[in-house]
Amino acid sequence: MNDKDDIMMDAARLSQSIAPERDLWPEIEQSIVPQPRRNWTPMLAQAAGVVMLVAASSMLTYFMVKDDGSASLSVQPEYLFDEASFGGTYNLGPGFTDARGGLASKLDAQLERLSPEERADVEANLKLIRDAIDQINAELAEDPDNAHLQALLLKTYREELTVMRKVSDLTQAVMSRTDI
Amino acid sequence: MAALSAVANTLYSEAAVTTTEHKQTDEALLIRRAKNGDQRAFEALYRSNVDKVYALCLRMTGNVSEAEDCAQEAFIQAWNQLSKFRGDSAFSTWMHRIAVNAVLGRMRKSKRDQNRLEIVADRTEVAPLTSDEGALRDLSEAIDRLPDGARHVFVLHAVYGYSHDEAGSMLGIATGTSKAQVHRARRLLAQQLKQEGFTE
Repeated sequence: MNDKDDIMMDAARLSQSIAPERDLWPEIEQSIVPQPRRNWTPMLAQAAGVVMLVAASSMLTYFMVKDDGSASLSVQPEYLFDEASFGGTYNLGPGFTDARGGLASKLDAQLERLSPEERADVEANLKLIRDAIDQINAELAEDPDNAHLQALLLKTYREELTVMRKVSDLTQAVMSRTDI
Repeated sequence: MAALSAVANTLYSEAAVTTTEHKQTDEALLIRRAKNGDQRAFEALYRSNVDKVYALCLRMTGNVSEAEDCAQEAFIQAWNQLSKFRGDSAFSTWMHRIAVNAVLGRMRKSKRDQNRLEIVADRTEVAPLTSDEGALRDLSEAIDRLPDGARHVFVLHAVYGYSHDEAGSMLGIATGTSKAQVHRARRLLAQQLKQEGFTE
């Protein structure tokens, strides 16, 4: 028997079972625990909703108080637009798209009539809402049939529309009072 | 007296067979439960197999931290691929295959990251890695110093008893290459041990 044979025999006697120096399970367990499904409601969307509502209310109150209560605002609680069609692909209804496009095109001119502070407030709120819309759209791209996301998107678009309409109404009121 | 001894032997063998059957049944049950997402069952499979998986990883990498990472990676992959385990082979054999893949994957990544030199340096600092005693420890350390290819084949074939076909299949190399690598490993080991005065 030569050295090489001895090596093979010794190799077969080497331990095939060695305990690791530390417990490896905790890290394994951490990796195999099912990851909770990512919350489909983006934090920013939630935050945007809250901030937008507070800011919009504050803005309305500010204008009304500032103008001595003489301005009568008729802000409709809901704005009519066609029901959007959702599903694997989703599209906003044409009525809504038209309303949104019309308001958006006038928005810059209307914002010009506001003071720099008021304008900054409105723009910051609209940015929050639009960022939220982008986030929801990104989520929808991954999960296009998610009914909650679709509803949230619709609601957020509606809120954007509401803010734009309020700005429009307010600037109309400001114009009317100034023009008289 | 002889008759009594024969009866005792028979009882002992039956008990051993029963224990083995129990173990297999338990393992099959654990696998079935783990396949259904039972993490506690998978933990039990981990507990009963980790020493074997870690030993293989340690022999193949020659490095404690690499071996720990490979063993962890192997069990994570096993969990993810559990539905593919059909029971054609023993669970431990299936785990060995996954562990070998984990080792090879890590080594490829290490080479890509050009960290291999650090790993080699690390390997020389950590000794002894195994519980082998005396001449076996010397052999174990000499195996750690083999080149990767020779070490991988030698460990699978000479230490774990896999055939050249099996070792080649696990490592993704031809049977002939496996034989050549074992031959090379034996020669290198003989040289190493002779130089260090461990063999006559």
